[in-house]
Amino acid sequence: MTVATGETHHELLRTAVHGEPDVFLVRQRGRQVAAAVGFDGQDQIRVATALSDVGRELVRQSLTSAVVFALRLAPRVALVVELSWRGGPARTTGPGWDTADRLLDEVHVTAGDEGGTVVLVKRLPGGVVAPSPEHLIRVRRELGTPIGSTALDELRAQNQELLETLETLEQKGRELERLNDELEETNRGVVALYKELSEELEETNRGVVALYAELDEKSTQLREAAEARTRFWSNISHELRTPVNSVVGLTRLLAAQGADPLTADQRRQVELINDSGATLLALVNELLDTAKAESGSMRPQPVPVDLGYVVVQLRGALQPMIRSGEVELVADDLPALPPFVTDETMLVRILRNVLSNGLKFTVRGEVRLSVHLAEDGRHLHFVVTDTGIGIPADQQDRVFEEFHQVPGALQVGAGGTGLGLSYARKLARILGGDLALRSEPGRGTEVTLRLPVGALDDIPLTPVGTALLVDGNEESRALLKDVIGDLAHVVVEAADGRTGLTAATTERPGLVFLDADAPFVTGAEILSVLRRDANFSAVPAVVVCTAESAALHLTVSGLAASLLPRRQISTETVRQAVREALVAVRRTVSG
Amino acid sequence: MERVPILKIGGVLLVSIQIDLQDQSVLALQEDLAEKISTTGAHGVVIDISAVEIVDSFIGRMFATIASISQLFDADTVVVGMRPAVAITLVELGLTLGGVRTALDLERGMKILRVLGEQRRGPSSDEDADPLRALL
Repeated sequence: MTVATGETHHELLRTAVHGEPDVFLVRQRGRQVAAAVGFDGQDQIRVATALSDVGRELVRQSLTSAVVFALRLAPRVALVVELSWRGGPARTTGPGWDTADRLLDEVHVTAGDEGGTVVLVKRLPGGVVAPSPEHLIRVRRELGTPIGSTALDELRAQNQELLETLETLEQKGRELERLNDELEETNRGVVALYKELSEELEETNRGVVALYAELDEKSTQLREAAEARTRFWSNISHELRTPVNSVVGLTRLLAAQGADPLTADQRRQVELINDSGATLLALVNELLDTAKAESGSMRPQPVPVDLGYVVVQLRGALQPMIRSGEVELVADDLPALPPFVTDETMLVRILRNVLSNGLKFTVRGEVRLSVHLAEDGRHLHFVVTDTGIGIPADQQDRVFEEFHQVPGALQVGAGGTGLGLSYARKLARILGGDLALRSEPGRGTEVTLRLPVGALDDIPLTPVGTALLVDGNEESRALLKDVIGDLAHVVVEAADGRTGLTAATTERPGLVFLDADAPFVTGAEILSVLRRDANFSAVPAVVVCTAESAALHLTVSGLAASLLPRRQISTETVRQAVREALVAVRRTVSG
Repeated sequence: MERVPILKIGGVLLVSIQIDLQDQSVLALQEDLAEKISTTGAHGVVIDISAVEIVDSFIGRMFATIASISQLFDADTVVVGMRPAVAITLVELGLTLGGVRTALDLERGMKILRVLGEQRRGPSSDEDADPLRALL
């Protein structure tokens, strides 16, 4: 049965019952509607009570019902309340349903699997007149407004809102608390993680520190071992050198001209002893040199080097090593090179080692030395090439190891300690350069010595005993004397060339400053006289001039001296001039 | 949800229901009252329902339940001020309030409790001999 909005039915209000609070509302609505359509107080209570109980029965079964309040005009004026629900069969017996039965006039229940409807009817008492359509419209309007229209109800509603707000706030507070807890939890996690990480880090750190200590210990051990080895070599070599020297010296005495005559056999035997002794001495010396280089006690003494002289020296030293006419020692012509400053003794040793090595392992062909300036202009390359047996690729690195000898037929014949190349490389490194090797077995070997050109500044200026200063100008003399300073222990002065010449022969100075325009005898004249004396040929000389000229330059360089303009005199320029003089004098001497 | 206040007057708890009761409120009242009786040791409960307009079967049964609970705490329950319409409806429903005593108004309810209290403890008990006086 449905409530139709026809002539006889006037729908007044629709609402829904979902939960317990709705039951309460429907109860109030029921009472309101009953009052509006004209029921007396008692009937209002009856309708409300019945709705309350039925509504509760439905809510208890978790059913949502639509509630329609309507006024039926025929057959008798009555209030009709229809509650309809969907979903699931409903129980329609129980105390709630009994209440409706008892308090209302009609109760119609239709219930099925899909849902159901209950229609409650409460007839208006006989004497009551049916409300007019206008009245009904007014009733509808009144009901349309929500219940709480009185001030109290409004207050209640506001109160309710406040309560709800409060509850929301509380909920938010709880949410915040929860979040806080979560954060705290996370924090704890982070702190724990951090702690774990730092512990791990600490552990690693400890490991690293331990490792460092171990490394330190190892390097100390290594250093100690190296030192012990060097000490051993050096001691042994010294101990060996003395007896070997005696052997060599005594055999020479035996073979000397004035000694007792020996038979031919004896002479040959003594020569053999002498040769062996000499070889042994050479080996011991080599050992000693290597030990010295190893110990780091060798300090290079850079001087201006004349390469032409070095080549001559080498040729002289190595010629005896050439065993047959089939091997030739060749030195290429020297190209134009900048002044070369290095330790000459070390340079000669390196080249001698490399060249003798080449000669040792070359049966026929040539051993060639060539020198050229490196591309950077700051290094010299000394290239020694031979046409010897060469070194297999797998041995090329090892030849620089001490005592290493490439196994092969020729080595058996050639004596050696296996120290040569290793020693040469050490010296090259002491001089700030290096030694490199390239070889092809059967075709030959190319060894390149690379050394820095060096600068005049590298030449150490060692003070000389006496410096001679010849200058006609008194001011200039005073200034020079001041500037020479610690270059000489004593400075002897002369005001003119004649006194100067006399002083030079009596004082034997190690350094000479000459005034180009000295009275009586000019600087150039003094120098040309002095240079003729063998004792003066190697004394560095600086010519001090007032005006430079090409002719003067030529003269001075021809006399192996350097030129210093008078107006430029200062500590620095004087030192530079002395160095130039050293280079010049060295070039002349070696040439 | 509104809670019904419970006032202690001497040895008697006064429950004055001034609102239209919702089911939740009734259940809460039941709990509050039990708690209060147990903490105060009250010997009587007066429930004033003069403002209650609708008592359906559920609420009616609740009063009965409250009375039974109070009984367990050795306290008597009197419901006072029931409206005529409510009374009639209850009768029509065939509901009895079980062990619940009723009285017309608060004064009579108090009197009943006092008498009951005297019967229990004997007339010599001075303390809360006249709960009504304490109320005034």
